[in-house]
Amino acid sequence: MTLLTIEGLSAGYGGAVAVDGVSLALKAGETVALLGANGAGKSTLLKAVLGLVPARGRVVLDGVEVGGLAAEKRVRLGLGYVPEGRRVFAGMSVRDNLEVASFAGTAERGRDLERVLALFPQLREKAGERAWRLSGGQQQMLAVGRALMGRPRLLLLDEPSLGLSPKVAGEVFAAVRAIAAQGTAVLLAEQSARRALAAAGRAVLLRLGRVVHDGPADALDAEALRAAFLGDPILGPSESS
Amino acid sequence: MKWRGAVRRVLFALGVVALLAYAVLYASPYGLRVLTVAGVYALATVGFQVVFGLGGALSLAQGTFFGVGAYVTGILGSQLGWTFPATFPLSLAVPVGLALLVGLPVLRLESHYFALATLGVAQVVLLLAVNTPELTGGANGLAGVPGIVLAGWAVPRGLPLAAVVWACVALGAAAAARLAHGRWGRALTLVRDDPLAAATLGLDVGRLRLTAFALSALYGGAAGALSVHTQRVVSPEVLEFPVMVAILTMAVVGGRGRIAGAVLGAVLLVHLPEWFRGLERSYLIVYGLALLAAIVVAPHGITGVLDRLLPPRVRPLPKAAALPERAAGGALRVEGLRKAFGGVRAVDGVSFTLEPGRVTGLIGPNGSGKTTVINLISGLERPDGGRVMLGGRNLAGARPDWVARAGIARTFQAAGLPEGATVLEAVAAARLERDPSVAQAEAHARTVLERLGVAELAGRPCGGLPAALRRRVELARALARQPAVLLLDEPAAGLTDGEKAELARHLAAVAAEGVAVLVVEHDMGFLLPLAQRVVALDQGRVLADGAPGDVVRHPAVVAAYLGEGSP
Amino acid sequence: MLTAAQLLLNGVALGAAYALVALGFVLVLNATGAVNFAQGDLVMAGGMLAVALAPLVPAPGIALLPVVLVLMAGLGLLVSLAAYLPLRGRPHVGVFISTIAVGIVLQNGATVLLGPEPRAAPPLFGGGTLRLGELVVAEQSLAIVAVAALLIGAQQWVFARTQLGRRLRATAQDPEMARACGVPVTAMILATFALGTAYAGAAGLLLANQFFVTPTAGGDLILKAYIAVTIGGWGSVPGAVAGALVIALFEVGVSAVLSYPVAMGALYVTLLVVLVARPQGLFGEVARRRA
Repeated sequence: MTLLTIEGLSAGYGGAVAVDGVSLALKAGETVALLGANGAGKSTLLKAVLGLVPARGRVVLDGVEVGGLAAEKRVRLGLGYVPEGRRVFAGMSVRDNLEVASFAGTAERGRDLERVLALFPQLREKAGERAWRLSGGQQQMLAVGRALMGRPRLLLLDEPSLGLSPKVAGEVFAAVRAIAAQGTAVLLAEQSARRALAAAGRAVLLRLGRVVHDGPADALDAEALRAAFLGDPILGPSESS
Repeated sequence: MKWRGAVRRVLFALGVVALLAYAVLYASPYGLRVLTVAGVYALATVGFQVVFGLGGALSLAQGTFFGVGAYVTGILGSQLGWTFPATFPLSLAVPVGLALLVGLPVLRLESHYFALATLGVAQVVLLLAVNTPELTGGANGLAGVPGIVLAGWAVPRGLPLAAVVWACVALGAAAAARLAHGRWGRALTLVRDDPLAAATLGLDVGRLRLTAFALSALYGGAAGALSVHTQRVVSPEVLEFPVMVAILTMAVVGGRGRIAGAVLGAVLLVHLPEWFRGLERSYLIVYGLALLAAIVVAPHGITGVLDRLLPPRVRPLPKAAALPERAAGGALRVEGLRKAFGGVRAVDGVSFTLEPGRVTGLIGPNGSGKTTVINLISGLERPDGGRVMLGGRNLAGARPDWVARAGIARTFQAAGLPEGATVLEAVAAARLERDPSVAQAEAHARTVLERLGVAELAGRPCGGLPAALRRRVELARALARQPAVLLLDEPAAGLTDGEKAELARHLAAVAAEGVAVLVVEHDMGFLLPLAQRVVALDQGRVLADGAPGDVVRHPAVVAAYLGEGSP
Repeated sequence: MLTAAQLLLNGVALGAAYALVALGFVLVLNATGAVNFAQGDLVMAGGMLAVALAPLVPAPGIALLPVVLVLMAGLGLLVSLAAYLPLRGRPHVGVFISTIAVGIVLQNGATVLLGPEPRAAPPLFGGGTLRLGELVVAEQSLAIVAVAALLIGAQQWVFARTQLGRRLRATAQDPEMARACGVPVTAMILATFALGTAYAGAAGLLLANQFFVTPTAGGDLILKAYIAVTIGGWGSVPGAVAGALVIALFEVGVSAVLSYPVAMGALYVTLLVVLVARPQGLFGEVARRRA
């Protein structure tokens, strides 16, 4: 059952086209890794789906055209967003960061909070602390937990391993896999390709704002991946396929 | 649309004629009085426009300079009987002295704090004026201030006084407009729009701001003196906050940043309440509503509206002039550079050398410290340790404008060109520190644009340029510095393959001239054929440094980019 | 000559009223980045509203408080719709001017409707004095401190403990991220204006008994709010309250010993020294190096 359909999505900043006619579809419960070098358009694509940047093209969420809706409305239709750099509300406590992102009534909010804290025990320990005092990894978990409070059917993650040590990044990804296992669809933009591929069933490779590969994660050849990121100096500039 | 430019000049001429006709033929004595007050405020607002509109600093002291100028003339005129030729220059000098005294410590404050500091000064001066009655007459002020006496002729009230005041306005506005369009004015607007870029182009930001502040005091003092000669009394009212608010409003409603806007704003806002006087008691309420409507409808002011209706004549481009000989460059040696932000080591002992005549690539995953390294070398961040050696001098920790003058130029990741300026103006800004005139700077800028193949863009505004062209213009701006070392932060971002190939050709040509080029990039297809050497960073440290082909196959570098396998 | 304790109470009472003004100012500042120049005139409007309503309500001044809060909140919504929303996304200086214009309308509206003479609002409870042990204190001063403390406490409680409060805080910290969490940011901004204006109105009611209110009273108050917010650290809520108290204590304390003008002079000189020595204010974060 298709949850998200993107057709011919184009978006950019001040004259530059960052996302150029991207089309892809996501099924409910699917985990898709969105890969590509920096500047390939991954972040902009996620922001365009969410509605944080103006875009042309269609975005359909569970049969509903959301292209004309403001971001805060799209979020209430089932999207969760974990931005690059985490962007937790630094002056607010962990608990407040989580609660603010809920649209449910008090009782249900309490239950959702419990579920998130169960998923991230480190946050439970620090529940009363201001978010700026958390470590990078803890802030990342807070950002993920915050997105979960809205009970999203699709979770958009932008570079969750950025700036984290391999061990901590591993913990974050374990949590992402647990979330996916519970049935939430995940669209995961990552520069750290191997980690993302290990967590995903499908991989979409972006280059210069266009999709150059869309298929099962294990079908993506290691060398092709390296070439996409680091190029092949012997053969000259790598041309997009 | 050349006729539009002609229409503007005709309109300006008509405006002046209309003003003269009104003053000479139609205005009642009261009307002339209002016109004179408008002139006084116009002069004060022109000064404010220099520091606020051009310089971008919200100085709440303009009313104080006005008041101080007024009191100097008032005290010396009424108590000591001094005349205009003696009091007027002092009414200029004392506020300027105050500005220099106050400006040095407060101009380095961030915007609100600067505004508040100037407000604090304003309030202290007001308190002094009210509470030193032996000097200032206290709350009642001083009466009996003489009128203006020029070469024995006592200027009578009415038309002659209005003429004298407006002659000062014309002179002052013309001088300010000339300054605004000259080297100094151009440098100042860049400081307003992008102080970091201005510094990296070699401009002394602090000195420019201080001069603007002192100049605003000069005009404020002049206006205050003329105001007192008009009223013949001086009282603490001239130092109160409403005067400052009026000047601010006039500058914005007239059109922020435009000298003509200051004059138009003053004329409009002094006369506007008069037009509503017919409404008797409610006339000021209507004035307030009109003001609200004006700013909502025309946030860029009167000149903004005029510019939209009648765009200014496009100035002809200067002919290109060859750039002066560039001094031979040397190698840039980075040794053990370190920088931590709040416990996180962004740059952790980075060392490498940039040889002249070579392109060196700097790669690394997001967060590896590449941009910080550029910021440290160019002086926008101060290193915690390490050295940056160029020509035998250690530039580590030096101010960005010193670093720029030593021969280092850079571009920024988010191509920051001033939206309102034309391409030629933006590139010429790089030469302001070196060339003796705007014309020379623009002529040199044109040469650089031609070399990069974008000469036809010269007259276009920077805002609205597509990414590839913005990058080319930014590169032109950096090259116009004729640097020994060129640092480029992701110059190929957002470009198509064809555009990247062209950029690579240009950069190779620049390096061939003997410049040491550093390119931070993610696109390996662009960088690897271009660079003779590549340095790879991760988590603030150098992982590999050598031939491009070797570095990108280095196992640590591959692992850093692609990430570890699943735990 | 008042005793030190009486002076302290007067200072704290004045500071409490100023704190309401500064609080309303800084909340709008945080939520929108905009400086509301009309804040002082809104306080005056609240005072005038209290004066106008007083004959209609045969009860102590405290009964006027809820009415003033509600009506001023409505005025705040109007101001944000007329002077802020149309200029959203434009340079901030536009909002300076639009709020200056609102101030002009309020000042002259008050002059036309109620005349230029100073007016007094009724005291909150009684206008007399109370005996606390050896001290004789003005009932009104105590009432002001109590009411202001209640209102500030209520604001703190709403912001800290309710979902609305969390949303308001998130909007002030990172509006784009707040939207990405489903927070209706525009509605939150309007609510902040309403709240800031309501509190300005309450301050007006509190001040209008001991200090007569005139249509031009706003000018002085906006200066003090601006100073309070800057000394406290631009954008810091506790800083704004602390700054307000500092100003009031200066005003009351120094003027009792020397004179009001000297007190104000000393305040500004102290302000300048603080700014030069510690440019980020008492509670503000360290200012980054300017180019």
